Amino acid sequence: MNGNRVDLGLIIGGPQGGGIESAGQITVRTLMSKGYDVYGTREYHSNITGAHSYFNLRARSDIARSVKLPVDFLIALDAESVFTHINDVKKKGFFVYDSGTSSTKIDKIAPMPKPLKVRVKEKLSKLGLGDTVADAVRYIENKDVKVVGVPIRELLKETAKRSGLSVVSVARVANTIGLAAAFALIGIEREHIEKAITLYFAGKEKAIKPNIVAVETTYDYIKDNFKLGNPLPNGPYQGKLRMVINGNDVVAMGKIAGGLTLQTYYPITPAADEALYLESYRTVEPTDEAKEKLGLDKVGTLVIQTEDEISAIGMAIGAALAGARVATTTSGPGFSLMNEMVSMAVIMEVPLVVTIWQRAGPSTGMATRNGQQDLLISLFSGHGDTPKIVLSSGDHVEAFYDSIRALNWAEKFQTPVIHLVDKMLSGSLKSIDPPDPTKIKIERGKFLREVDGKYNRFTITEDGISPRAPLGVAKQMISSLVHNEYGMVTEDPLLRNQMTEKMLKKIESIEKEISESERYSVYGDPDSDILLISWGTNKGPILDAIEKLAGDGIKVKFFQIRTFKPFPAKALTEAMDSSKVIIGVESNILEQMRMITRMNILRDIPHMIVKYTGRTMYEQEIYFGVKEILEKGSRKVVVSDGA
Amino acid sequence: MVRNWIEYRTDAWVQWCPGCGNYGILTAIYKAFAELDLDPKETVVVSGIGCSSRIPYYINVSGVHTLHGRPIPVATGIKLANPRLNVVVHSGDGDLLGIGMAHFVALGRRNVDLTVILHDNAVYGLTKGQAGPTLPAWLRTKALRAPNYQDAVEPVLIALASGYTFIARSYAYHAEKLKEIIKEAIEHKGSSLVQVLQPCPTYNNIMTPKWYEERIYYINEKYPEYDPIVKVPGERDKKIAEILDKFYKDSDKIPLGILLKDISKDTFEDRIEKIIPGYLKNPPGLRYTDLDGKSLIRPKDVFKDRIVKA
Repeated sequence: MNGNRVDLGLIIGGPQGGGIESAGQITVRTLMSKGYDVYGTREYHSNITGAHSYFNLRARSDIARSVKLPVDFLIALDAESVFTHINDVKKKGFFVYDSGTSSTKIDKIAPMPKPLKVRVKEKLSKLGLGDTVADAVRYIENKDVKVVGVPIRELLKETAKRSGLSVVSVARVANTIGLAAAFALIGIEREHIEKAITLYFAGKEKAIKPNIVAVETTYDYIKDNFKLGNPLPNGPYQGKLRMVINGNDVVAMGKIAGGLTLQTYYPITPAADEALYLESYRTVEPTDEAKEKLGLDKVGTLVIQTEDEISAIGMAIGAALAGARVATTTSGPGFSLMNEMVSMAVIMEVPLVVTIWQRAGPSTGMATRNGQQDLLISLFSGHGDTPKIVLSSGDHVEAFYDSIRALNWAEKFQTPVIHLVDKMLSGSLKSIDPPDPTKIKIERGKFLREVDGKYNRFTITEDGISPRAPLGVAKQMISSLVHNEYGMVTEDPLLRNQMTEKMLKKIESIEKEISESERYSVYGDPDSDILLISWGTNKGPILDAIEKLAGDGIKVKFFQIRTFKPFPAKALTEAMDSSKVIIGVESNILEQMRMITRMNILRDIPHMIVKYTGRTMYEQEIYFGVKEILEKGSRKVVVSDGA
Repeated sequence: MVRNWIEYRTDAWVQWCPGCGNYGILTAIYKAFAELDLDPKETVVVSGIGCSSRIPYYINVSGVHTLHGRPIPVATGIKLANPRLNVVVHSGDGDLLGIGMAHFVALGRRNVDLTVILHDNAVYGLTKGQAGPTLPAWLRTKALRAPNYQDAVEPVLIALASGYTFIARSYAYHAEKLKEIIKEAIEHKGSSLVQVLQPCPTYNNIMTPKWYEERIYYINEKYPEYDPIVKVPGERDKKIAEILDKFYKDSDKIPLGILLKDISKDTFEDRIEKIIPGYLKNPPGLRYTDLDGKSLIRPKDVFKDRIVKA
């Protein structure tokens, strides 16, 4: 904290299925009520209940867009969280834990991964410590961190007494006690957490009262036994109407706002939550203007859960042929199954959006962890020559508008559009101003609602794009085989050439009509000769790192690739040619972005910062990575922070 | 008959081998479409891959020629986007019961109002005669290098178990009777299966017209008292038991005709209308997506569960 500028990092850890999601959601709302901008990542195992899960959240009075390590305070809701995050709080920070767990031995924690136990025990034994939570607490205290043991059981009993309920019936507020203790210590007034609880549990009135009593009980406990923190300065967002969303939500919102009428999916992590959010808004209230002018009383979006991903993409294609504005959502393994139909959508010239929530592969890999490993399969998906559009979103706000853009491009160019979003975006929470869909015009390209006389679906045109009437509006033939302008199958060599060249013209139209400015963004110092190139959710940590580097007098320019097809060839060539030190940042081991850059503009990215632990990039990893490259000229820096 | 069946022919060369059962099915389709007076603009034939899947090129309605095994998902998408269309799937046994079996089962579960015509010749013709999923075990048709050592699947039983609400079997060389069954299948509200037994004169030298004609019989002739209709949900299981008891006792005989017509179940479209009121009036393929390029919704008014007044 620097003057009035607030920059708080915190971790809340606990068992999966033990209310950790609610704890995170309440925390975000508390910090928003205090007037801060908030960003938080969620790490969890592929597990329903019991395994370690945590939020890493950051609240800033200006803009929060990455998380940091070590954090300013940490709330360990169980013993495993104490051991797992033993090094994650910075000097003078707070480490809040349940003092009832003090005697728990590390080996008694069944869900905790063995390699992590070995690493933690090594650290403890180096200081001559044993293997209980109490030992871990001494280890943490040794690092000049203020450790606060909160007797959660006793405070639960007190909460029960004060609210006139049984201890069993208030057991669920244990997490709130942990949160409240931490907020009391760092100087967040009680009213904010109370407001957050009221907002989060709206409609579940029974849950509100015990939670609020728990907050009061905990604040009293901290006041009597420690000291309430001096109130932090309020942030500038107080009183503003904002939203708190995760990436899954915001993509669903973008699709609904962007005129999607049908989406298909087969359940897969982390895409399913997007489809579920969409389905919960399958009928929504249109604007008054739409009601009046179009006579619509409700806007309906059909979401269909299919038998597999092949059917998901197949149904979406069928629906598009019948005039629906469609998308399907999946992640890497599901997209592998969809490949034959990406190819079919290309030859049938079907407008189709495939949202890919990238997770850590290969194969099933780590289903709930982050990765940027699906760039190559997206660009090269589908057999045969298969032009498509591939875009990638860097943050929540971009993901909203990109979801609309993807639907527009699909209909405009009548070909598949692949929208890459990172797992890290899917579960990350972010406070945003309500997005404004009128910023992007909804386009349907050469869509026809009426046709007179004979109709050729695949008419050869100057721009390679034919007027498109849906089934039902005009009799037509749609074929996965090479066909003539009507759609009738042909194996004539010259006709085949003509129709294939039609596709080439379409690629040229994509290159011509998607402007350079939509393909990339540039941040940082435009005159710097140090260039960072990256894509996806590395954007937030990079922006924070370059701010930090600027504080050290190191000026950096950041080039974010936003579309890989069409590629920002001209702008990236110029940026690379005018830079002395060029560093790529991405979350895969093959350096896929580097490969694609070389392929498109024959230029190499000589230095790379890569991560493939399955966790998010952190500000400090990029900060130290850039420094290392500047000092030692390292070819590749592999980073691996985060539990 | 309002339209002449000749109107449904196209000028494409029909590329099937002489004597192929597909000709009988094609003729039955022309006549069924004509007698039902189907508007070519509002009728879509969707096929997979294989000999029979060439059929869309030969019928003068809209056609969608998809991938091997995939006509059902595409047809389902078309129908759900615009329930006013007549959608008919044509594909072979390899397509629907081999590579596409998951979709074949899923369609029954949904009861989407579309018709599946299964061209069943028990061989893969276009790849030169491999065993299809309905080829009985230990037969060795002429292109096989060894007798077929995989068992056959029984599409009618799978359809019964999956929930299809209209299940019939017919024979390609009896075009008139086939036409009547196809008409009834198209008029039925729900997922219909018409399995058409079809000799392949080129590759199936065992299941010849003679082979079939020694085995087939018509249900309504042999069991005139049999009533295939299921009126209330509880009756379906009893009807399945009756079908097994009557028609599956004698494994040498093949019953033809309508085995089941279940009118007790909602179509998928009616079920969607229940969860999205207004769906049938403004289905996804027909409804407006925007107002002159402007979004129809305002996020802050719609996604209220995510609003925080900070």
